Amino acid sequence: MKRDNPLLPYLATLDEVVDLTPDVKLFRIELNDPEVRESFDYQPGQFVFVSAFGTGESPFGLTSVGYRKGPLEVAVRRVGTVTGSLHDLEPGAIVGVRGPFGNHFPLDEFKGKDLFIIGGGIGFAPLRPVITSILDHREDYGELTILNGARTPSDLVFAPEFDSWAAAPRTKLELTVDAGDESWTGRVALIPRVVAELGFSPENAIAVICGPPIMIHFTLIELKKLGFADSQIVTTLEGKMKCGLGKCARCNVGEKYICRDGPVFTMEQISQLIEQF
Amino acid sequence: MSDYISRADLLSWLEKVSQSRDLVAPVKIEDLTLFQKVERVEDIVFDPGNTDLSPKEFFFPKSEVLFYVDRSDGRVELVPAEVEQETVIFGIRPCDAKGIAVLDLPYLEEPADALYRQHREKTTLVGLSCVSACPECFCTSMGTTPDDASNVDIMLTEVEEGFIVQVVTEKGKALLPEGLLSSKEVSPPAAPSVASVPSEGIAEKMHQVFDSPYWDRLADRCLHCNVCSYVCPTCYCFDVRDLRSGGRVERVRSWESCQSPGFTKIAGGYDPRAAKGPRLRQRFAHKLLYFVEKFGVTHCVGCGRCVRSCPVNIDIREVIQDVQGLGVKSEA
Ligand SMILES: Cc1cc2nc3c(=O)[nH]c(=O)nc-3n(C[C@H](O)[C@H](O)[C@H](O)COP(=O)(O)OP(=O)(O)OC[C@H]3O[C@@H](n4cnc5c(N)ncnc54)[C@H](O)[C@@H]3O)c2cc1C
Ligand code: SF4
Ligand code: SF4
Ligand code: FES
Repeated sequence: MKRDNPLLPYLATLDEVVDLTPDVKLFRIELNDPEVRESFDYQPGQFVFVSAFGTGESPFGLTSVGYRKGPLEVAVRRVGTVTGSLHDLEPGAIVGVRGPFGNHFPLDEFKGKDLFIIGGGIGFAPLRPVITSILDHREDYGELTILNGARTPSDLVFAPEFDSWAAAPRTKLELTVDAGDESWTGRVALIPRVVAELGFSPENAIAVICGPPIMIHFTLIELKKLGFADSQIVTTLEGKMKCGLGKCARCNVGEKYICRDGPVFTMEQISQLIEQF
Repeated sequence: MSDYISRADLLSWLEKVSQSRDLVAPVKIEDLTLFQKVERVEDIVFDPGNTDLSPKEFFFPKSEVLFYVDRSDGRVELVPAEVEQETVIFGIRPCDAKGIAVLDLPYLEEPADALYRQHREKTTLVGLSCVSACPECFCTSMGTTPDDASNVDIMLTEVEEGFIVQVVTEKGKALLPEGLLSSKEVSPPAAPSVASVPSEGIAEKMHQVFDSPYWDRLADRCLHCNVCSYVCPTCYCFDVRDLRSGGRVERVRSWESCQSPGFTKIAGGYDPRAAKGPRLRQRFAHKLLYFVEKFGVTHCVGCGRCVRSCPVNIDIREVIQDVQGLGVKSEA
């Protein structure tokens, strides 16, 4: 979308705030200007900057899907000043939105393939619109396995959707936690271990991973052991970002800008970067 | 025959210019020479040598309000800053003018930076050729020359008692009143000779030595004081924050440097460039490799300011020299 001043946010209203975990909230955000709302289109993997005026703005992956034309959704983990201020807002509050920015998951290339969607903690957030898109067009894709991991059961994001994901055709949902509690009867294992145990086949398959750098690191090792080539593994890079426009140069890694050339990369693309993040 | 203006006519013209616009030129402030809004044209420094800070701050200020939040009448409105003031920068040297042309590449690339573009549109550049070279500069190795008029609107070259005038752009022409210039039989002095550095093929060499232990060794003495970025006419990284000022919220952008610890630190505490070596390498890789790959020119114009200002003598001329050498030695 073209704007005179790309650093000037659109005004928007917090429609609804849902507690997803003790430190993650889902924000449903409605853009105030009907024209902007109508033309604001985006793809899974793209992100926006959300402003809490008086504190600042931060980038967040969109967890909703553009084609449904509903409010924008972001899942925000409270880690510091801006995320803290957003968590303190009540429905009805005015926030700012800039975007959408970045490239997106290559869903066209996923068509006809088996998909392993692996997310750890808040890193699962940008994977939700990938899952929604696949389930909304289920016949276009092969088998779908979703692996969602977190520190504890209450930290698993998007729990309200687990039943519908698990019930979808040709879809398996695997949940795992680092540490269980009294009521938890599921897996207690780190994500890389679960990947090894599930033994995904790389045949005509794509693995998509998002999560903390350390989880990605060890999951990649397991996927490679299973025979996945770098071109079959899709992930996202995170960087400090202040503009989303390729101007502030904060997210520069090698010759790329994560905000414009990413955040979605295949492992093949990442291994060709001169600087390794 | 050349277009010519005497020094006296030049000063009275500048005096007139300063009545309708901001006139910015090098002036002495204690022991520094800085581009500043000029109060009296007699204060303008014509001496050879470059200012201590580049004039980039008139396009990309150290700190600039992007917009403020208006909360009157129970409504929220964002009021973007607008650049209203017409400005003339007088006495800009070819390296700094080239520096602005280099800043244009990322900032005017679509989607263009709104405030930068407004500053650019409202500013006219009157350049001054260098008739002698500073000891630290190496402009001719970085794509410009002491008499390069291609990045200014009007170029002046000092000759006896006055200046040869080249009117380069329509914007420059519009600034000069009819009949101000005379014709004179003078030729410009020979351009001074400038120290050269082996910049030929530097991007390719930077690529080859990217993983060399050289960067850790070099960075060991860096204090990450950021001075190199702040004095540089082409460094353009920024930070954005909300500040409260006079009871209202302003979103402010300010200079940042890739040498700051935490420049790349992300949520969760992970910092891919936590060590000094990769941080200092980023400065040189951006200037001599990435920018060249993306825009086809180096992100250094050879003004020599970082050479002069670095407290521990990290010298980009030596880095270029070293990198060229490392590429051939197996020790790299
Ligand atoms: C493309 C992208 C998508 C993201 N998606 C999500 C998401 O869907 N959900 C979510 O909860 N978080 C997401 N993040 C991370 C989120 O942007 C940071 O948690 C947030 O910026 C921290 O802001 P803060 O003011 O609360 O933290 P601060 O108080 O500033 O600092 C806390 C920590 O966050 C780091 N940090 C500060 N600013 C940034 C920044 N602009 N980018 C990255 N790290 C920063 C700091 O270095 C520090 O380690 C995403 C980040 C990126 C780059
Ligand atoms: S001026 Fe020198 S010491 Fe300071 S950050 Fe730059 S290279 Fe390091
Ligand atoms: S890197 Fe140093 S010499 Fe090059 S333009 Fe910047 S300040 Fe001048
Ligand atoms: S966020 Fe500013 S360049 Fe990428």
